[in-house]
Amino acid sequence: MEQFLWKIGGEAGFGILTTGTMFSKIVSRLGYYIFDYIQYPSLIRGGHNTYDVGFSDAPVHDLKANIDMLVCLNKETFDNHKERLRSDSFVIYDSKEFIPDGPYINIEVPFNEILTKLKGQVIMKNTIALGASLALLGADLAILNDLLKSQFKKKGEDVVRFNQQFAQAGYDHILKQHKAHIKSILLRRDNPKQLVITGNETFALASSIADCCLYVAYPMTPASSVLSVLANWQMQTGMVVRHAEDEIAVINTAIGGSLAGVRSAVGTSGGGFALMVESISFAGIAEIPLVIFLSQRPGPATGMPTWTEQGDLLFAVHAGHGEFPKIVLAPGSIDEMFKLTLKAYDLADIYQTPVIVLSDMLLSESHRSLSKDLVETQIKEYKPNRGKLIEKPDKEPYLRYKMTEDGVSARLIPGFEGSYYQSNSYEHLEDGHTTEESIERINQVDKRSQKIQTYFESHFVGPTIIGDIEKAEVIFVTWGSTKGATLRAQQELDKKGKNTAQLHFTHVFPLSEKIVAPYLTKKKRYILVENNSHGQFGKLLRQEIGVSIMEKVLRYDGRPITSEEIVQSVFT
Amino acid sequence: MLTVQDFTGYQPTWCPGCGNWAIGAAIKTALVQLGLSPSNVFLSFGIGCSGNMNDFVNAYASHGLHGRALPVAIGFKLANHHMKTIVVAGDGDFYGEGGNHFLHAARGNHDICAIIHDNRVYGLTTGQVAPTAQKGYRSKSTPAGIIEVPLDPLGLAVAQGATFVAQAFAGDTMHLVGLLKDALQHKGFSLVNVLQPCVTFNKINTFSYYIQRSYKLPAEYDATNIQEAQKKTLELHEEKFPLGIIYKKDKPAYHEQISQIAETSLLKRKVPRNFTELLTDFV
Repeated sequence: MEQFLWKIGGEAGFGILTTGTMFSKIVSRLGYYIFDYIQYPSLIRGGHNTYDVGFSDAPVHDLKANIDMLVCLNKETFDNHKERLRSDSFVIYDSKEFIPDGPYINIEVPFNEILTKLKGQVIMKNTIALGASLALLGADLAILNDLLKSQFKKKGEDVVRFNQQFAQAGYDHILKQHKAHIKSILLRRDNPKQLVITGNETFALASSIADCCLYVAYPMTPASSVLSVLANWQMQTGMVVRHAEDEIAVINTAIGGSLAGVRSAVGTSGGGFALMVESISFAGIAEIPLVIFLSQRPGPATGMPTWTEQGDLLFAVHAGHGEFPKIVLAPGSIDEMFKLTLKAYDLADIYQTPVIVLSDMLLSESHRSLSKDLVETQIKEYKPNRGKLIEKPDKEPYLRYKMTEDGVSARLIPGFEGSYYQSNSYEHLEDGHTTEESIERINQVDKRSQKIQTYFESHFVGPTIIGDIEKAEVIFVTWGSTKGATLRAQQELDKKGKNTAQLHFTHVFPLSEKIVAPYLTKKKRYILVENNSHGQFGKLLRQEIGVSIMEKVLRYDGRPITSEEIVQSVFT
Repeated sequence: MLTVQDFTGYQPTWCPGCGNWAIGAAIKTALVQLGLSPSNVFLSFGIGCSGNMNDFVNAYASHGLHGRALPVAIGFKLANHHMKTIVVAGDGDFYGEGGNHFLHAARGNHDICAIIHDNRVYGLTTGQVAPTAQKGYRSKSTPAGIIEVPLDPLGLAVAQGATFVAQAFAGDTMHLVGLLKDALQHKGFSLVNVLQPCVTFNKINTFSYYIQRSYKLPAEYDATNIQEAQKKTLELHEEKFPLGIIYKKDKPAYHEQISQIAETSLLKRKVPRNFTELLTDFV
């Protein structure tokens, strides 16, 4: 089936987020793949919120432009989004508030009248809207009623029933007044079980599975939900989650935990990350494993806190004074977020250095379908690879920064009786003591740099190729979350007879020239796709690989890049 | 039986006559007298002359960033609360650059002993003014004299909820050893502010300056009385320096209030593998 796009809009503070998530869970439980996206201003009340849910019987990588069903909880929703409606789009509205002026399938639902009659609060308009939407799509209320039950069961059976009657009222109204318009496309289908989960929640889940013991953060949109989710799970996971006084305390606390021998991580967005930068350098020279979750939002400074951008790639890559190894991973989908988070913890331990997992608002806050089976398999099978972490020295004297071929030294968990050592932010000798000697300095710099070569040989992964690179007329180059829109653009271009391929990078830094260059030096038309204004990955490729991509599709208005823009770029 | 020698690392590079020598010796003596070994203490050092003690003391240690010794110690303690955890830093490091961490560690009552070298100047960067300097103090960064009044470490610690607040003088090593032992045995956040002459850059707050203006708290002083403690901390502004335990209170430490590490440390915990329950949030 074609993707179906359902969208709801209303005043901020009136439950749009919860309602959108519920709709996603309902269609997921009915056996469909979902992708949703929330737009909200950086306010608690008084702005305009919208929530898009795209669903299909095949995985959804990106939202399409046209809206199939627009639920207007206020007039602003209609005014703001009517240009995305077509003649066969449903518009759900209350004639007490406005009447849509256009040739759509207009579905009048008397939200206000139902509220008055059933003595409901304004927020219950959402439940009426869900009931009406499900009726129009030919589904029943069983799953919605179940979700309402889980949401309100703590408040008692009466509250559950009170809320359920609003869903029923919306549903009944459609059956009574608009039966002819029912389009039965949301029929239950068999599909492997999917989780409805955001990028942040996926990072949190994978961190728990990876045995992260200490998560430290200071709230910052769009990374904050990692903190709240992990804090909420502490009793089940045994993780200690600390909300510290500032981001500098955050990262140094995690460094302390990691130094003591437990897997530790931090999460933030650009501004908080900026405060952490000196300490990333500390972790680099002291060779302390650390996972840093960086969810980007448009900057500079406070920027546009609740919108999306890939504007911090070069900042992440270059974060920290001095020269030291650092690994930057950028998942482009929910599956990749899950797998790369698990890998990030292993890499941090193996290379004893900071590893950054780069997300953005689009990936962090959108729900997508994640195979439940994949997650359950990892829960059963994942075993942390702690690298050269040891509980007792293999020989005396123990040398924390011993020169080795791969650049990695055995890391002794502090507390072993009979030994001691220091982790030093100063340049140091093999035993950790401070030094300013020329030869010792060179040795330690070379040892740390050697880790990059070892990484290239052992763990670096080049771009994923989507499509046939040899047959393709156009090769898109993407990293992180632009993967989804590009995938959908490729499907659209295929229908137009254009053969394309996508080179999707997840291991964005460091980049192995030997592995990457062959993909980028073919006599082909390359188009770079990035959600920023400077084409930062293009710059990075020029710096690290020595290739320049001249054609670019860039978007930097805080909105995710769309497949339509990418399709258009091919014909211009 | 361990001796001070077991804790002794490299030959210090401090200036002859510097108060750091006495503080370094006192820390090692206190650790030995408490029966600790270099393998069961964790020292988190700041950056400065005091932080350079990292090479002169044998122990599990971190020599981190200027201002950040405390959060490193907090993280270490959360991961392994069985290790005695100590912060060694200077006044500029701990009260200036890292002042925010100090305020919040005190209110968290983290089980950490902070030993602060208060010489009222920046020694390692050759003599600029520190946040504890007396108003009007002339230095390389304040040639016309510092405009601010001195920061009050003891007053801040008491007000912010620290449960052990003491002051010592580097010129009286025996007294300092006793206070350090008390602080190290205290469960919760302890601050020992050590008045320490910088013989190279501070020609005003000298050994004789402190000998004239400091005094030991009398035996009848009640360190559990917070109002009395607050009065004592205000004497700083009259250039009077009480020595001894200013304030002490028994309260649960931060890590004792985290139920998931009540039985074993994070480091020794058994890895949970049943996360299936978490997945119910996502269907």
